Amino acid sequence: MTTQQIKQHDRYKHGQFALVLSLVFTIFFLYQAFIHLTTVYTLLALAFLIESIIQSVLLHRLVKEGITPVAHSKLTRALTLLQVFSLFSGNVFTASFGFRLRQEKETISYTFMTYIFIADVFLVALTALNIFKPYVTNSFLVILISLVVLTVTDGLLIHYLKPDLMETKQLTARMRLLIIFLVITALTGNVIRLLLSYQLYIHYIQTDVSKREQSSQFWQKITRSFTAMLGLLFIVIIFSLSWMSTFTFVESFAVENNYQTLLLEPSLTHPFGTDNFGRDVYSRVVRGGVISLSIGVLTTLIPMLIGGVLGAISGYFHPLVDQTVMRILDALYAIPGILLAIAIIAAFGSNTTNLVIALSIGAIPMFARTMRANVLMIKNLEYIEASRAIGESEWKILFKHIVPNALAPMIVRATLAIGTAVIATSSLSFLGLGVEPHVPEWGNVLRVGSTYLETEPYLAIFPGLSIILLVLSFNFLGDGVRDALDPKMH
Amino acid sequence: MTTRLIKGFHVSQASVGLRLIHWLLGIVIHIPALLYFQFKKRKQPATATLLDQQMIQQLSTDYDQRIDYFNRDPNENEKQAFISKEYALLKKTEQQYRLNYPQFFEQLLQSRRFLLLTLVPGFFLYLFYLIYHHGLIRFIFERLVATVFVIFSVIVIVFTLLYFSPQDPAQNILGDQATAAQRENFEALFGLDQPYLVQLTDRLHGFITFDLGTTYQGNEDVLLNIENRFPVTLTLAFLSLVLAIAIAVPIGIISAVKVQSFWDYSFMFLALIGLSIPSFWQGLIFILTFAIELDWLPSTYIPGQFASLIMPVIVLGTGLSATIARMTRSEILEVMHEDYIVTAKAKGLSNRRIFTKHALPNAWIPILTVIGLQFGAMLGGASVTEKVFNIQGLGSYIVDKQFIPDIPAILAGVVYIAVMISVVNLLVDLLYALLNPRLRAELND
Repeated sequence: MTTQQIKQHDRYKHGQFALVLSLVFTIFFLYQAFIHLTTVYTLLALAFLIESIIQSVLLHRLVKEGITPVAHSKLTRALTLLQVFSLFSGNVFTASFGFRLRQEKETISYTFMTYIFIADVFLVALTALNIFKPYVTNSFLVILISLVVLTVTDGLLIHYLKPDLMETKQLTARMRLLIIFLVITALTGNVIRLLLSYQLYIHYIQTDVSKREQSSQFWQKITRSFTAMLGLLFIVIIFSLSWMSTFTFVESFAVENNYQTLLLEPSLTHPFGTDNFGRDVYSRVVRGGVISLSIGVLTTLIPMLIGGVLGAISGYFHPLVDQTVMRILDALYAIPGILLAIAIIAAFGSNTTNLVIALSIGAIPMFARTMRANVLMIKNLEYIEASRAIGESEWKILFKHIVPNALAPMIVRATLAIGTAVIATSSLSFLGLGVEPHVPEWGNVLRVGSTYLETEPYLAIFPGLSIILLVLSFNFLGDGVRDALDPKMH
Repeated sequence: MTTRLIKGFHVSQASVGLRLIHWLLGIVIHIPALLYFQFKKRKQPATATLLDQQMIQQLSTDYDQRIDYFNRDPNENEKQAFISKEYALLKKTEQQYRLNYPQFFEQLLQSRRFLLLTLVPGFFLYLFYLIYHHGLIRFIFERLVATVFVIFSVIVIVFTLLYFSPQDPAQNILGDQATAAQRENFEALFGLDQPYLVQLTDRLHGFITFDLGTTYQGNEDVLLNIENRFPVTLTLAFLSLVLAIAIAVPIGIISAVKVQSFWDYSFMFLALIGLSIPSFWQGLIFILTFAIELDWLPSTYIPGQFASLIMPVIVLGTGLSATIARMTRSEILEVMHEDYIVTAKAKGLSNRRIFTKHALPNAWIPILTVIGLQFGAMLGGASVTEKVFNIQGLGSYIVDKQFIPDIPAILAGVVYIAVMISVVNLLVDLLYALLNPRLRAELND
């Protein structure tokens, strides 16, 4: 491979991306250490600095030695292994690069497994922060220990999965056990486990070769795109942490007033500080993750379904139907989503159900237009004419032959729309129009913080950063899905 | 002039809907014209009898020739049957080719005298023809009609939502202690006791005559409120748009030209972050940094002070710039993969020339559309930004009034923003039609 080819390779780009982000965080931590003079930040800054240096050395050697580990010298391999361990300082970027560099050929199963492991480590670490609290839940210790055991198992599985899982064609008892194990442990909220077990299922049980190919091609592209995988990783971490918080986080810290701990600075006990009612903001953010996420997902799925059906019908049937439906939707489209939501909430009161309905209605026209455009294009294709010629019913043609083939742009839209929905939800909560004030939804948490902007800015900064992280993750994932599904890109 | 009218007339005959409008608009002309046409038609058959004789003669020789060709014996009965059958068929086709009313009307349109005579009753009909004779004018006209329709639909939708609200403005304003008589008085004062259709027509009528009523609370004139608050929102939106275009388009171009370079990745990463920041949080952080800590800019908006608009404009423009930058990049990249770019390269044009002469002119049209569409989303976001920076604009007006809910105020606010968005979309579409040669050619056909 020439230098030029190496530099254009996905792995090299991943390495560069990791280096840049690692450097950015180094500077950030250095700045924090300089201002607050705390040991935690100094240690973090030092760790990130070392990792960045290793990373740049590694990138340099990569250009010389090529990108596959077979060609690497002992030193390069040692450095790669070192980068894997950078995970324990919290540097996902260099760690994921290290994991990636250790494999010969990039396989879906290995990539998924490494990201499962990374998510495990984060889940354990973020849950373990509760140790510093005055007391913990009854189930905390049991769950923490089992999570650690699970993490170690996953670490071992990475090693076991390094030769490609999908080389063997036969479904062995071992493999069946692995699938069952993955599905059960997916109860921790780690969606990547479900994805991996689905991959294995597709590989061993699906007999239709074209479907198998299609699925593996899509996931291959997703797993190769490190930004998409990072997005997926952060979504999974936020979701599983929040999902498990029922057992691991004391609820009263998040929702009950405690006048002994009013407006405390961030510390190990209260990583994000406490608000004006003495509630622990970290617990609130963790608890609220599921709420923000599920509202975001719901307000995307509902309009996707309704808009999809409306768009399909208006695209397929008589122009009169088309004109009627689309003109009504045009009127909805002329009102910005947030304003329509404000109007609906003004009329029917502010609570979570109304918020979901309000945001959903505003998004219907966008999905309907996307679907309609696709249906219009597909309905003129030859295979539709063929199915009409053999006398299939109109509805069957529409929902069995056209809609499944028109879904790709809808999925891309939806993934990108979840981020927007999360922002809209928190914006409305911020205006006092969304979720009930006591619910720890992220916009609500931020609203409390915004009133103490001058004296306790961290109250607004941390929840805000969480929102950005979640939305950014969805946008990264959405971009990845678009690149994987869009035929124009290739 | 007459040729244009006739062309418009032809266009109007093409679809059912247009034909209906053409009948309705010209009903005053059509009724006498139809009568005259029927009268003329009845006079025609007298001249046709001679032709009929010739036709029968022709058919009979036809039959003879056939019999001759097939070497069969002539049969008188068969001959008569053949002649009558063919004759009926010919008559039928002739009927179709005969002068029908549209053709007759077209002939009428050709005469200048007829036009002058019917100019007053047929004014709208002729205007209709003139509009429809030219594709571009027709497009503009239809777009205008659609805009008006959308605005009316917005009024209906929002009013319906607020009408069926379980919230009770009377109770929210008068309080729990209010007597039934006080409430009835309040409802009678604002017409809330009227049935749905009456209230709706009142509102629609109000919007046409610019009488938006008064707010429930404080009895303020809604139109005056809107007039006071509209300019700030408009300035804010316009400045944000300008800022977004000024920043995002060059960034998108640079990213597309230097695709997969360090700059491309950095810019697109920044754009993605810009897309992911909730504007209210960005506003708060800006206030924290530039107003509280650095003390460079005022933290809230002060009318007449330009410096206090800087932060809101940047905050509102961020999301828009991110979208425009991403769109610009992908559009240019898409155009760069077209065949004509390959041809241009093959001709040996320099990269700069390919870019300025071939890529940009083709890429900027979709970019313009995206800008138009995003403008609406930005105006929605303006309500949040206005609340953060305490700007007394249209968006914050709606938010302030929704707690009661103050139906006239919310309705007027939402409708005015929808009007603004519709007008911008209309302008974008018109620009699109005027500047896109392909669409222009299509419209002219």
